[in-house]
Order: sequence, then structure tokens, then C-alpha cells
Amino acid sequence: MTTGVAADTVGRPRRLLRAASTTPQRLRRVAASLVVGCLVIVVVSVLDGVARTDAVHASGTRIAVLTADAAELYRSLADADATVTSGYVSGGLEPAPVRARYDEDIARAADRAMHAAGRLPVGDPAAVPVAMIGIQLPVYTGLVETARAHNRLGLPLGQSYLDRASRLMRSTILPAAEELRQMQTAALAAAYRRGGTIPFAVLLIGAAVLAGVVDHAVLERRRTNRVVNIGLLVVGAALVAALLWWVVAVVVAGNRLDGARQHSDAATALDGARIAVLQARSNESLVLIARSGGGSSEQGFTTQVERVLGPGGDGGLLADAVRSVPDSAVRIGAIRTALVDWRDAHRRVRELDDGGQYRLAVASVTGADPAGSGVAFERLDAALASAIDIERVAFTVDVGRADSALTGLTPGPAVLGLLAAGAVTAGIGRRVGEYR
Amino acid sequence: MTNVNVGRPVGYLCVAAALALGSLLVTGGGTVPSDGPPPTPSNPPAAAPSCTQTRESLRPTGLTPAPGTMPAGSTMAVIAGRGRLIAGVDQGKYLVGYRNPITGELEGSDIDVVRQIAAAIFGDPNRVQFVVLNIADRVRAIERGQVDLVVNTFTVTCERQQKVEFSSAYMTVSQRVLVPTGSGATEIENLTGARVCTSLGSTTEVVLRALPIGLDVVSLPGIPDCMVELQRGRVAAVSSDDVILAGLAAQDPQTKVVGRPLARSFYAVGMSPGAPDLVRFVNAVLERARSDGSLAVSDQRWLRALNPVPQPAPARYRD
Repeated sequence: MTTGVAADTVGRPRRLLRAASTTPQRLRRVAASLVVGCLVIVVVSVLDGVARTDAVHASGTRIAVLTADAAELYRSLADADATVTSGYVSGGLEPAPVRARYDEDIARAADRAMHAAGRLPVGDPAAVPVAMIGIQLPVYTGLVETARAHNRLGLPLGQSYLDRASRLMRSTILPAAEELRQMQTAALAAAYRRGGTIPFAVLLIGAAVLAGVVDHAVLERRRTNRVVNIGLLVVGAALVAALLWWVVAVVVAGNRLDGARQHSDAATALDGARIAVLQARSNESLVLIARSGGGSSEQGFTTQVERVLGPGGDGGLLADAVRSVPDSAVRIGAIRTALVDWRDAHRRVRELDDGGQYRLAVASVTGADPAGSGVAFERLDAALASAIDIERVAFTVDVGRADSALTGLTPGPAVLGLLAAGAVTAGIGRRVGEYR
Repeated sequence: MTNVNVGRPVGYLCVAAALALGSLLVTGGGTVPSDGPPPTPSNPPAAAPSCTQTRESLRPTGLTPAPGTMPAGSTMAVIAGRGRLIAGVDQGKYLVGYRNPITGELEGSDIDVVRQIAAAIFGDPNRVQFVVLNIADRVRAIERGQVDLVVNTFTVTCERQQKVEFSSAYMTVSQRVLVPTGSGATEIENLTGARVCTSLGSTTEVVLRALPIGLDVVSLPGIPDCMVELQRGRVAAVSSDDVILAGLAAQDPQTKVVGRPLARSFYAVGMSPGAPDLVRFVNAVLERARSDGSLAVSDQRWLRALNPVPQPAPARYRD
């Protein structure tokens, strides 16, 4: 369709030229068709520019923020559950810092969910999982508080409430948060595609109009043997400038968007890794609480850690992150080491528990043992958190640069197009005047 | 009888068998009062020849050896060599076998039995690795050798005896019903059409399903799960053995135990049929716990809320 319009625009001046009876009439028709061509460029340029700037702007602001919200929401929820579960394993009343961490997690989760809900456009399908979290989170906290009340009285019924809360979290709330996260990741990818594609319509129409102008100028020069019309020179220069503006802006923005996409891909992989190790951490505590030996529940730990490390220990989500951002190899290597350390500590926990040393196993998991699994996990989590932060900041910088590369893309080439239209009228109009 | 998928006929049959055992012990020992009509199913199917009555346990061979001197080659020597007894228990039954959330330790009358056995082997009641088992997993844990023994409100039935060797009974219990204090129900018959919860794969489940009064029986992995359902108003009653219900009632003053005993049964320690020496050893430990009063002291300590405190069952052996 685009090429059809272009061909028409090229063909029309010649046909009209031949069909018209007098030279001024023919010139007027040429001028009219070139003006229409320039105006089409203006319209197409404005439409594409607005869509593109919006997409990049949205990816830098709304969608990227929602993606970060979704990841943070998931992490807070998973951390709340892991915290309350490991607090229970240690026995006794929860220490104040554990309680504070849970409260902080719940507050952050509620805050992120509200924030995300406020930023979603009306009718966005992501509203469904956000609503699910809004409905179920109070139920979850209610069950946890009931469990706490029973624990405080020394009654074992608390464990049944805690178990129910944890099941609600793992079977309903976390999957909803994951759904939101995946929806936003997909939306972000779509925004990149819209922001970085080649502007075929503008370039083809622009090239066609430019060809029409050049063609007309060449024919006129042959017919009248006069120097090139100033007006037509201005038209050509304006059109070339508009097209160059487009090419440069899109190439620069595309470059920046590629960088941004790499950082957001790395952040997504690292978010996935952080979530997987949190689930493994919950699993570690749950196995100790259930006190039913390892067995099938231990499988959950192994699966999650393998997702992050890969089957051979050198792949998985961490390798995905390095593939996206090769510069992060050192940071990611440190994370890999921390995870292997934690896995080793976890294996010692399992050996202790399976060997009847339940109390030592609990001490390792709850962080009472400085060489234990709890402390190793904290190190791993901190390393992941800082790596994710670095990728998010780099992402924001790149999207900001892409955004500024597109500054003026909507009005700039459009004004040049209008200038070209004006120059066509002025330039050819002067020739027409010579026939009076 | 330990699995839900066992068909109804087998269920009827086993109720009949349990009742047969009960009446046998009533006439033989004379220590179990015979109040309350037995929950006879309306149309019991013809008895299958494989499982008609429970058998008695193995007679202990004199006193237990002194701790630390288990006979070479015995199952106890293997346990002693390992350094710990592996016991299948529960951690959700208040007063019977539960995790004290303040200390993180397991406690209760069943746990005391485990500790007595550990003390007899090691001279140290704490040389125990506890493995928490769902009601429905107890027989399998013994079959797979995951645990040395199970002390987890384990009722002796002839069905289970095909896979498990039981010790002599250490406690007599009867199945009753727990309802909210505001409930008008005083007998199980008042709960016709209502949702009544019990643990999956338990003998109490079989008894409830056999009652011809149209109960809507809900079975969950553990009795505490039933209690949560009761507190959330999703079931009308919980039915289990009186000692277990006493533990639930003690956690929620807004509940009460009502009705006549629906079935009478005996708790014993479950072990592998392949370890008769361990069974005789445990019976000797129980024998001593009965005679020196330590079993009664433990029951008095944990189960004084029950009136009367359940009595240790009389030991009977098949030699």
C-alpha cells in the first residue's frame, strides 16, 4: 500500500503534465501534487513520531515501572512467606527483626500492588492478577496473625494456620504476581519493537516525493535550460533534512533501546533467579517444619536452584543474564559462587536433619550459625539485589537516552515537510507567474 | 483400612473386626467398661476370611537388657549402633504428640512413649530422630523401613496387622465428637446431613462412613486441619478419639466433646513384622512402664483434662 502511494506520487506529475493543455496549468498541477506529497509526509511523520515517542516513553516510564513493581511485588510476597516460615522454625516468639522484616514485606507488597493498579490503563488484562492479589493478601495476613496468636499461647494449632497461609501464598498469590510480571515483561518487549522499527512509511513516501521533485527539476531544466529554481532547491533540502532527521533519530534511539533491552533482559533473568532462590529458601524451612525427612519436598529445592545455575552449574538464568549483558560477568560470577556456597550449606542442613541433628539443622537455617545456610542465603540475596539494581539503573539511563534521541521527532520533520510544501508553492508559483 | 481407596465392604468388615476384638477384651480382661451401643453397620457384608480378628502381640522375653548392652545382631543393636531411634510421630495433636511452638520441641503422651523406648536402648531419652507422618502414611513408613517404629495414635486393626506388628496396647480410647459450644448436637445422630471432619485413612473415618445416618464425611490429612475447618465454620463437627479431641478442646474453649463412644480402640506401637525382637523389647519397656507407674504418670500429666484419664490397656500376648 505504501509503495502504491509512492508510485502514484511519482507517476502523477508526468501524466498530468502531458494531459494538461497549457504550461501554467501543467505547472499548477505539478505543484499541487508535490504539495499533497509533502503534506502526506507531514501527516505520516507526525503519526509515526507520536506512536514511537509514546512507545519509548511508556517503556521508559509506565511499563518499566510496572515491570519493576511486579518483580518487587513478587519478591516481597515470597520474602514475607519465607520470613514467617523460617521465624516459625526457630521456635519461640519471633525475634523483633524477623517480625519487622515481615511487616516491611507486607507493606511493600501492598504498596507495589496499589502503585501498579494505579498505573494500569483501563481495561488492561493485568488488572486481573492485581485484583487477585488485593483480594487474597488480607486473607493471607489474617491467617498468619491467627497462627501467631496460637503460637503465643503455646498451642500447636498455629502451625495449621501457618500451613494454610503458606499454601494460599504459594498456590494463589504468588502465581498471580508471576502472571503480572510476565504480562509486563511482554508489554515491555512490545514497546521496544514499536520504538525501534525502521520507519518504512515515512522513508518511502519521503523518497518518492523527493524523487518527484528531482524529476520535475530535471525536466524543467531540460525544457527551459535555466538554472535550478531556488524554491525547488529548498524543497529538496527540506525533504532530505527531514529524512535524515528520521534516520539519525531512529538509528540512535534503536541503539539505545537495544542497550536498554539487554539490561532489562538481564534484570528479568536476575529477578527470576531471585524469585527461584526465595522459593528454594521457603522450601528449606518448610521441609524442616514438616519434619517428614527430605524426599519429595527436597526435590523443590533442587529444581529451583537448577533453574538458576543450569544443570551443569554454568548455565541457567545467571547465564541468560551474562548473555544479555556481557559486562556483568564478574558480578554474576560472584552470585554464582554465593549460590553454590548456599547450596553446599543447604546440603549440610539436610545431612544434619537426616542424621538426626534436627536442632543443628534449625540453627543453620535460622541464621544462628554464622557458617550456616541462613547466613549464606542472606549473602546471596544481597548480591542478587545489588546486581538487579545495577541493571535497572542502566536500563533507565538507556531508555532516557533513547527518549531524548526522539525529542523533536514529532514536530521537527513535520515542520520541514510544511516548509517543503510552502517552497513548492512559492517556487513553482513564481514560474507560473512568468507566463502571465 | 489405612487407605481411603479401600472399598466400603472392607470398611464394614474391619469395624466388625474391631468390635469383635473389643468384646473379646471386655470379657477377657474385664477392665474396659462396656457402655454405649456399638456402631453396628446396618447390613454388614459377609466376612472375608483374611481378616476376622486382631491378633495379640509378642510376649517380652523377661526384662529389657541394660541400656547400652543390646544383644549382638538384634534390631536394637542396629539402632544403638546408629546412635538414635527413628520414630514416626505426629506434631499437630495437642497433648498427645505436638510441637511446642515456644520451645520448638515435640511433646505429649505419645512422645513420652518414644522417649521411654529411647531411654531403654541408650539410657538417654533424647537420642531420637522424630519423623512426622500423616495418618495415612504410617503403615507405608514402616513397610519402607523409613522409621524403626510408629507412636502416633496408631490403632490396632487386623487389616494393619497384615503389614505391621503392633506392641501391646498402651492406651484405650474411644471415638467421640467435637462440636462448637453453641451447637445443639449431643449425639452423632443430631448431625445427620452435616459435614463431619476426620483424618484421612484413620479408623475413625471408617467408623463414620459406616454409620447409617447420612453424615457428610470430610477427611483431611490431619486432625488439626479439621479444627481449622471447624473454626472457620466450614464443618459442623470433628470426630476422632477422645484423647485427640481433648487436645482440640483444650486449644479452643468454644468447643466441647459430646456423645456416647462410637467405637473403642487401642493404641499401640507399630513396628515391622520383620523385627520380632524389637516388638518383644518394646513390650518389655511397656510392661515396666505399666508396673512402675510411669505410663500412668505421663497420661496423668498430659491428659488430665479427660475425665477419667485413659487407663493403660492390659497387655495380652500370643507368645
